[in-house]
Amino acid sequence: MLDLILQALYSGVLQGGSYALIALGLALVFGTMKVINLAHGEFVLLAAYMAHTVEAKLGLSPVLAIPVALVLVCLCAVVVYFLISLIRKDRELNSLILTYGVGIILTNAVLLIWSADVRSTSSAWMQDAFVVGPFYSMRSELLFFAVSIVLMGALWWWLSRSWYGRAVRAVSSNRDAAKLMGINPRATEIVSFVVAGILAAFAGVAIFSYGVIQPAFGHVLTVKAFIITVLAGIGSIPGVLVGALLLGVAEALTVTLASSALQELAGMALFLMVLFVMPNGLFGAAGRRG
Amino acid sequence: MDCNCIIRSKLGLAALALSLTAGVASAEELLVGAEIPLTGSLARVGAGMNEGISVAVEVFNKTNGKHTIKVITADDESAPAKAIAAVEKLAGQGVVAITGGYGSNNIGPASDAANKLGLPYITSGGVDDSLTERGIKTFFRINNTAGYRKAMVGLLDDMKVKSASVIYSTKEATADLAKDVQKELAAKGMTVGMHAFDPAITDFKPIINKIRLQDKSEVILMAGYENDYVGILRAAKVLKPDVKAMIGVWSLATPKMVADFPDLMPSVYGTALLPFPAEFKTADGKLFADTYKKLYNKEPDYLGQFGYVQSMILFEAIARAADKGTLKKGGVVQELARTDRETLIGRVQFNDKGDNVNFVHRMGQHQNGKIAIVWPSDAATGKMSFPGVPW
Repeated sequence: MLDLILQALYSGVLQGGSYALIALGLALVFGTMKVINLAHGEFVLLAAYMAHTVEAKLGLSPVLAIPVALVLVCLCAVVVYFLISLIRKDRELNSLILTYGVGIILTNAVLLIWSADVRSTSSAWMQDAFVVGPFYSMRSELLFFAVSIVLMGALWWWLSRSWYGRAVRAVSSNRDAAKLMGINPRATEIVSFVVAGILAAFAGVAIFSYGVIQPAFGHVLTVKAFIITVLAGIGSIPGVLVGALLLGVAEALTVTLASSALQELAGMALFLMVLFVMPNGLFGAAGRRG
Repeated sequence: MDCNCIIRSKLGLAALALSLTAGVASAEELLVGAEIPLTGSLARVGAGMNEGISVAVEVFNKTNGKHTIKVITADDESAPAKAIAAVEKLAGQGVVAITGGYGSNNIGPASDAANKLGLPYITSGGVDDSLTERGIKTFFRINNTAGYRKAMVGLLDDMKVKSASVIYSTKEATADLAKDVQKELAAKGMTVGMHAFDPAITDFKPIINKIRLQDKSEVILMAGYENDYVGILRAAKVLKPDVKAMIGVWSLATPKMVADFPDLMPSVYGTALLPFPAEFKTADGKLFADTYKKLYNKEPDYLGQFGYVQSMILFEAIARAADKGTLKKGGVVQELARTDRETLIGRVQFNDKGDNVNFVHRMGQHQNGKIAIVWPSDAATGKMSFPGVPW
């Protein structure tokens, strides 16, 4: 039984790292602009399909697709930002409808270009087992868990130490006051969208490397990212990591100790329980550090 | 010109006009609706079935000589409400019957809507028993859970194993199949471990680990879809449970899986109508395969075969009803009910619930980049490689 629980914890932590990578971009835009980008999952999916194209057409490792995915996804992110910036009234609500529509367009574009077949990496190196004692994983899971931690650290540093990062936080706190301090809110918001695009690009390549993708997968990713963002507390980067790890571990333990059919239910129960006890999320409001 | 001559020429013209009119009537284009998921979560399987329907149209129009079929396709977006809307839209366009449908939860409401509109509905995309238990007289299905169960249990009988773990999606069709298989295996005295999973799951390692350390079964049965199989087989390759075989159902023993996931497939079993590369022995089979390759430039798969068979049966029933002049008097339903025909999936006859009473699937095994039929023995094209797993 101990072996089972240890493996469940390990799998849960790795899965949590993957969830965190997906949720980071959404959390950043949500935290800074109060805009819920419902096309975020499709951005991740787009990057995953770029990784598939690079592997299938050029015979290269999916990791080498990151530069191409970065360009494409950041471009999409900028386009979505410009569409959102055209909204004159009730931006928070209307942007929901807008990004939902963009998500549908992207899903169907993926369907048209890459067809509905399921895709995943064929790289043996990515899929090979990495075993340490009772802990089993694929190499790609471990690799992208490390990438996820590094990106989170970098984002946290950028938001708290760099001028642009501070500008993003200033605009999110008080747009008018930020303007008085000489910050251009539009430029700052574009930057946050581009950073979200960068994170989505990494997440997409990661998913393709250890999971399975198909065109309808985008909205599943968005929902998962949204749950983690709210669980974390709006705008909190450490909260995203903690929330994602909690979710991953709760799901894996549910599979091991109860039934795998209850995995999603356990995740939602955790989500509701945390919100019931801490309405602002784990690191929201007073507890926010990021 | 005398009077008789004028009368004869007028009669001749009238006869010519009548024959032309009759000709137009007998060669009329008959409209059939195809309600299929071309987008959404079922787009992949929907597209496969759609290919089979297109092949059936091509073959029927080329071989029938008297009637031509035109199919109007409506995308149901993999959603029940959209499936109803698609059927209603097709009815509005004047179709005489519906072919298609995928997923029991979409087929149920769609075929209900078709029934209310008086349209026959034929499918191969939903195996849930509740579909045929409704007593709808306009509903017909060429495959069912029982046919898949018989194939899986038959293979396990041949393997002479004593224990199995079943990993199954909580979706209706897969859950029903898994429970049916469990019941039959338990009745035979086998130990069966059941592991349901939510369709949203992506990491199967905790499940495989439970099988490895707790169940310690001889074989793993998988009831899911392509993405699930890839996840399960990947997890199994990492954890290497001590099992003798990995056995799935639909969407697994296919040329697509051979091409896309060659490293995961060796020795894996799945339901398969034909070996790969396909060997068609009948004239109907060869015509289907040639037309499929001409239209799509690839080897036909099981989705195409099922879509082809259901549509050909429907088109032939429509043609017979048109010949008898009962097309708009419920004739298509009557003709479908009378179907008794050898097809690519075996003999098709419907019971009073619209289910194909003869349906029994076959089991294929991935062997050296090919698929051999290994069960039943009278249809086998290769010997079962047992024990054998992809790692």
